[in-house]
Amino acid sequence: MGEEEAYEFVTSTLEKERIEPYTREESEVVHSVQQCINCGICLSHCPVVAAVGIYRFSGPRSIAVELSRSPPEFWATGDTIYLCTGCGTCMEVCPKNVNIPEIVNMMRSRILRFRPDLVPKGLHVVRETILEHNLAFVPLEDVEDKTESRDMRLEHYGLPLIETPEEAKSEVLYYPGCQAEERSQEVREAAKIILDRFEVGFTMLEDMCCCGLPSRLMGDKDTAEKLASRLKQRIDELDIKKIVTTCAGCTSNIGDASFAYDWNVPVLHLVEFLTDEVGTDKLAKAFTKPRGKEKVKVTVHDPCHLIRHTSRQLMDKALLLLDLIPDVKVEVSTAADSCCGGGGLVAYHSKDVSKAVVKENLEAIRLLEAQRVVTPCPLCTAQLEDNLFQSGSSIEVDDLTVFIAQRLSNKG
Amino acid sequence: MNLEADIVIVGGGMAGLVAGTIASEGGLSSIVLRKGESATSMSSGAIDVVGYLPDGTIPFESPKEGLVALASLYPFHPYSILGFGEGKPAFAEKVITGVEAAVGWLKDKLKDSVAKIVGGLDSNILSLSILGTTKPTCLIQETMVSDGFANEFDSTLLFLGVKGYPDFFASAAAKSFLEQSEIEQEGPRKVAHSTVRISPFGNTCNISASEIARHLDHDDALGELLPQIKKTVDTLGATHVALPPILGIKNARGNRQRIEEEVGAIVFELLAFPPSIPGLRLQRALEETYRKSGGQLLLGHEALSAYKEKNRYVSVQAGAPRRSIRISTKAVVSATGKFIGGGLRGAEDGLTETVFNLMTVTGNLIQADNIRPYDYTSPFAVDTGGHSIFSCGLTVDPQFRPVMPDGQPDADNLFAAGSTLAGYDYLVEKSGLGVALVSGFYAGKNAADAAKEVD
Ligand SMILES: Cc1cc2nc3c(=O)[nH]c(=O)nc-3n(C[C@H](O)[C@H](O)[C@H](O)COP(=O)(O)OP(=O)(O)OC[C@H]3O[C@@H](n4cnc5c(N)ncnc54)[C@H](O)[C@@H]3O)c2cc1C
Ligand code: SF4
Ligand code: SF4
Repeated sequence: MGEEEAYEFVTSTLEKERIEPYTREESEVVHSVQQCINCGICLSHCPVVAAVGIYRFSGPRSIAVELSRSPPEFWATGDTIYLCTGCGTCMEVCPKNVNIPEIVNMMRSRILRFRPDLVPKGLHVVRETILEHNLAFVPLEDVEDKTESRDMRLEHYGLPLIETPEEAKSEVLYYPGCQAEERSQEVREAAKIILDRFEVGFTMLEDMCCCGLPSRLMGDKDTAEKLASRLKQRIDELDIKKIVTTCAGCTSNIGDASFAYDWNVPVLHLVEFLTDEVGTDKLAKAFTKPRGKEKVKVTVHDPCHLIRHTSRQLMDKALLLLDLIPDVKVEVSTAADSCCGGGGLVAYHSKDVSKAVVKENLEAIRLLEAQRVVTPCPLCTAQLEDNLFQSGSSIEVDDLTVFIAQRLSNKG
Repeated sequence: MNLEADIVIVGGGMAGLVAGTIASEGGLSSIVLRKGESATSMSSGAIDVVGYLPDGTIPFESPKEGLVALASLYPFHPYSILGFGEGKPAFAEKVITGVEAAVGWLKDKLKDSVAKIVGGLDSNILSLSILGTTKPTCLIQETMVSDGFANEFDSTLLFLGVKGYPDFFASAAAKSFLEQSEIEQEGPRKVAHSTVRISPFGNTCNISASEIARHLDHDDALGELLPQIKKTVDTLGATHVALPPILGIKNARGNRQRIEEEVGAIVFELLAFPPSIPGLRLQRALEETYRKSGGQLLLGHEALSAYKEKNRYVSVQAGAPRRSIRISTKAVVSATGKFIGGGLRGAEDGLTETVFNLMTVTGNLIQADNIRPYDYTSPFAVDTGGHSIFSCGLTVDPQFRPVMPDGQPDADNLFAAGSTLAGYDYLVEKSGLGVALVSGFYAGKNAADAAKEVD
């Protein structure tokens, strides 16, 4: 038996035993977990543990030293492992920077493959949607409905409509992501306004498809990879040299793919594209007081996928941008960098946990005088908005992209 | 986008945050890069200055006494370095004044924080632990002050546990405490133990310290606890109540005061195993102090390398998960910790410093680039002589600049502080946070001076 053949033979027996060998990337993640010294620092910081207690969610240390060490199948962890929001707080405070969020994805992928019955139903629903539409949400079937919803939103936010540029016209791809494409269309439109205002040539995909983050988070590796390579194919066809996004999840997930598969295409959040490539001088001149809007006190929320999965620098840049806008005062919330509970697809099956996590943010926001919360992610925006509203608060939430677009002077 | 700061500090534990705050106070801009939390956050939160001689078993009466002994017996101990003047050997007086200045400064900085500390160099405090044993330490958090139950004639000490909190067994602690007091022929007249119920999420098994502490940060939770403590104290006639350190992450001081008022006894927290809440409080308080001083704390950033021009570092390269930045600077402090912090790495092929590729040495100042760390451990996990691997690290000149094999500093403007330094074993000496504080304090000052030279 040749080496190849022997390998095939062994892997086929593993299959029967329902054991899935680690890929090279996965081995790296496993190696990261092996570095855990069982110190417990992460336990004092995990927002889910803080919100629901270790009895319900045994937390990152337990993931590192117990749950992730129960292969081959990780079935026994099914009730716990889906409660991690993937916020990365544990990884950031850990002395060894153990990559808990990624080991969680890896474990979920084993469970999905061998024991799909243990995967929360809500995740199966999202999975079906993605498989059918290549989007995380069922798209509005009627194009006219979608246009109507867009126009209503534009009117509500006082934004003009900008023509969508043709494909293959520029090296910069603006990638809105599922939320801005299907739900928060104002974010997509606002980004177009901003890019147009600064005369940035850009293009958009005619057939937007999901970046693959939800698939990755539920453990559907195959779909995540399929979506990534589909995006890559489009990037190649259009000869894209740079991707600009407005969603924190897309920024980190496409960034990860670009890194893992050596795409050599930088993935930037609009915030950093503006501060780094447009430049603060130009920006400062472009801001005006929005018509009919008073001085406004805002507070910010830092999306986990930006600060902990990409870089804390991104929120520093967001604050720099806000600082350039006249009549905007930023008040800092003590829970600005605390996970909003919207991550890890937790809200799709355990809404109570997601709500318990966001409480921390809401309480800190309520202590401030801020009238609005601003955050550079449409997903965080939606999560905070829903929960603030449900808690009876009058504080409103804006996606930073929309907030900026509303305060730009006209071109020329 | 690249950044600029007069001083870049690598490491966000006690040493780094102190150095950063000192830099701000000197009117300089600074950035602290922190890749994770580490030993400072894991510690018991009590700041040891010096408890024992490296091979001693009887604790020093006072840190002052210890510093004098170190200065004469261990001239290259990080404390002794303060005594060097113009090439002359250590003067104990100078060491004591130097340490006193740093301790006084920290006490002032933390006085309004969650980790307010008390104590000083004139006596070591024998602090009670959750095992019922004592440990000599210099500065303890206010919530840990036990006000002399040992000497009062008519005192009753109550060890009070929490049902379902597995780190502390009040009965076992009481027992070992009694055994110890019998040997030493002192202590309170009576010792008692009991438990209370605190159920953060409605369950009373397997609860963790941080859950209880966070729970008690809320008013109503404390309200539930008060009558339970009062009842136990009244029944047993306790004058002193020893609790595990769970009185709160934010409100521990206020909570303690409220309990004392309500039950009419002295209430204090015990020292605990890592990771303990007081350690977390100390880490937070230091971070807050640094931020308030105007410094920029950059979390989630790891220093990867640094660039030198002639004899000075001019920039530090730092990476976050998906971005990297270059920070131009005039001086650098390396406060990267030891094996847990990540400043030192021990492997089969030797001991290396991870950011600047500096020379490492053993406790005896022999170059350690090629040692087998294994040879520097004792076969006994608990060995009064310690594991000599813990005294390995960087060796520095009297200005806290790391020295290279040629005996010269690696750069004119690179300083090192904290547990990355060689020549002391914090585990044996009980000197960990003290050395980090003092070396951070002076490395920060010296870095500030070096940065000012550039203008
Ligand atoms: C479990 C335990 C309990 C202890 N208990 C006590 C006690 O009760 N009392 C006492 O006095 N001492 C105690 N000590 C000792 C004491 O905690 C340490 O000696 C002291 O905290 C060291 O402080 P430091 O700032 O040098 O290092 P650390 O606190 O370890 O900090 C090092 C910092 O450097 C960062 N870092 C490292 N490399 C990089 C890089 N490349 N880029 C960016 N950042 C980097 C780390 O992330 C970390 O933030 C204890 C130690 C341990 C391990
Ligand atoms: S990623 Fe976030 S939710 Fe998950 S274990 Fe870590 S801290 Fe907790
Ligand atoms: S903080 Fe890191 S090393 Fe410590 S227990 Fe958690 S995962 Fe393990």
